[in-house]
Amino acid sequence: MHALYPIILFPLIGFLSIGIAHLMATRRNLRLRGAGVIATIFMFLSFAYSVFCFFALRKTESGLIEDKLFTWMKLGGLSVDFALRLDSLSIVFVLVITGVGALIHLYSISYMHDDETPAKYFAYLNLFCFMMLNLVLGSSLPHVFLGWEGVGLASYLLIGYWYEDPLKVNAGQKAFVMNRIGDLGFLVAMFIAFRYSGTLDLIEFQKTTFPPHILPAFGLAVFFACTGKSAQIPLFTWLPDAMAGPTPVSALIHAATMVTSGIYLLTRLFPTISSSELVLCVIALTGALTALLAAVMACFQSDIKKILAYSTISQLGFMFLGCGVGAFSSGVFHVMTHAFFKALLFLGAGSVIHALGGEQDVFKMGNLRKKIPITFLTFTAGWAAILGLPPFSGFFSKDEIIYQALASPHGSHLLFGIAMVSAFLTSFYMTRLYVLVFMGESRVEKSAEPRLHESPPGMTIPLVILAVLALIGGWFGSPVHLGASSEDGGSLQYAVMGCSVLLALLGAGLAYRKYSGRVKIETTFDPFKIDRFYEFTFGKGTRGFSEVCARFVEEMVVQRVLRLTSAIVDLSGNVLKIAQVGSVQAYLMMMLLAVIAILAWFFYGVGLNGKL
Amino acid sequence: MELQPWMVLIVSMIVFGIGLLGVMIRKNLLIMLMCIELMLNGVNLSFVAFSKIHHLIEGDLTVLFVMTVAAAESAVGLGLVIALFRTLRTADSDQIQMLRD
Repeated sequence: MHALYPIILFPLIGFLSIGIAHLMATRRNLRLRGAGVIATIFMFLSFAYSVFCFFALRKTESGLIEDKLFTWMKLGGLSVDFALRLDSLSIVFVLVITGVGALIHLYSISYMHDDETPAKYFAYLNLFCFMMLNLVLGSSLPHVFLGWEGVGLASYLLIGYWYEDPLKVNAGQKAFVMNRIGDLGFLVAMFIAFRYSGTLDLIEFQKTTFPPHILPAFGLAVFFACTGKSAQIPLFTWLPDAMAGPTPVSALIHAATMVTSGIYLLTRLFPTISSSELVLCVIALTGALTALLAAVMACFQSDIKKILAYSTISQLGFMFLGCGVGAFSSGVFHVMTHAFFKALLFLGAGSVIHALGGEQDVFKMGNLRKKIPITFLTFTAGWAAILGLPPFSGFFSKDEIIYQALASPHGSHLLFGIAMVSAFLTSFYMTRLYVLVFMGESRVEKSAEPRLHESPPGMTIPLVILAVLALIGGWFGSPVHLGASSEDGGSLQYAVMGCSVLLALLGAGLAYRKYSGRVKIETTFDPFKIDRFYEFTFGKGTRGFSEVCARFVEEMVVQRVLRLTSAIVDLSGNVLKIAQVGSVQAYLMMMLLAVIAILAWFFYGVGLNGKL
Repeated sequence: MELQPWMVLIVSMIVFGIGLLGVMIRKNLLIMLMCIELMLNGVNLSFVAFSKIHHLIEGDLTVLFVMTVAAAESAVGLGLVIALFRTLRTADSDQIQMLRD
């Protein structure tokens, strides 16, 4: 048996030590500059240990390392262990979380250089990594739920990190509330699992066969939980707003790791999920529609981070599509490559924003390729990867999913069509972003022009490492092999591949023609108005219902019942008060009369029975 | 005529009635306390009488017990009356009605 706890222990120590140091420092008005370095060291230690575990895992025969730490709770017949479990699925996530996480910590040191409370930021970031590792290493549903809630909390804290701006605080709250709605599904799924199997262990409970009418309910509840965390229809609207947080946070939490936890959960539960045709169908369709919807919305944004946010939603849709057609391994493969290139794109965007002193509007950029060459080159790598140009990483994973959407037994022409259109739109909006930022003529405001500078090495080194990973990350092939997938497609696979590359080039060409010369300034435009729809239905609906409760139910029912109760008590008190005269002899008289009455009743009763 | 148990019972009833009446009518706390003693002694008499009628020893034993308790009770009662008198300067039960309100 192999110890796994150091993986989660390092970020925990980091969180506690930096957090406590921060609390002590704020009282003395100190700025802890070293916090970032310490947090980064802890993350690299965790990463190093994860790599060590990776090789240990490959040596084991069962492909599973388990490390039971203690018994967490024991309630009646239910016993839940606090145990960590590492297999081929979780090691992918662990390596991404600790590896990309460490790079983003490193990047953050420079990015948050001028921040007032760096210790708070890094404590939160370490907390996030700790929780995320719990999510992917937990051996039981409650343990996964602990991580699930923990990353939600860390995400909320980091989105609203600049808490003096009410817009950012609201964005954090929106993310939290949306996630809570999804958590309902998780809880329901957990209850169902316990009701029908009597255990909450992730492997044990999946050995029971659920009754056929319960199985879809369980699958849909799990999927609903995933739509919250992984920003799918109908709960995706929090992710674009979550861009209010610092850019490295967007890269780590809202692109590379936390939002993929839905795919992790689905894949972890795939033996149960994939035995229901209905659930798979819902997952695939939702994924495909989300991919399309978010891709369309990304074409109308002008904020560099929002474009990337919608792109993330769209890519997550692709992963769900992969899971939904039964190709869980392709979904996880895309999680991995996406983590590389989307973290790279976000960090690149952060570098651009940093160079321009906080400007996020792509129409106020342009021709930056000579000013910030390293960012430009690395961003190009990310761009090529997300477009799916061979031989970069996105090509392998995305085409795999598109191919499975057509060829898998659960796939269909409809899903394949939607996926193709989404892939075309992806290349359009990414090229639009790329051209607007780096090509064409400069639209940078004159006052910002002289301050343009390449980011410090602390930011460019992670960019370069991620760029390399984004380029070669696809060569390893899918790290896990789960679920139904037709492995070798032969000529059909090559045809699909060719089509999707052609479409990507077409989208890129169109965007280049439209945006490379003199461009018309576009303002952000929301074609679907989902937020306003939610505001109109759920927001207004809840407010209207509360109004009815406040006006009608409160006054007509609750108040009246209360008044009636108090009136009854008042009346009975007033009546009984008459007997309270205060004179001892009067009480004695009452006592005497009562005794006589009782005796009379007693003898009368006995007399009736004729017993005396 | 020899003393019969029923005669004792009648005396016991009269003593108990005097005691009860005294407690109900008299206003002085000391007198009321004495009347309570009278009631107890009336009951004692009836105990003895019934004990004789039924040839049981328990009645006599209970009387001894009641007398002990009565001694203790009158000691406490007297203490209370004195404490009341010291604070209120009266031992009239009609004037001691503070618990009403």
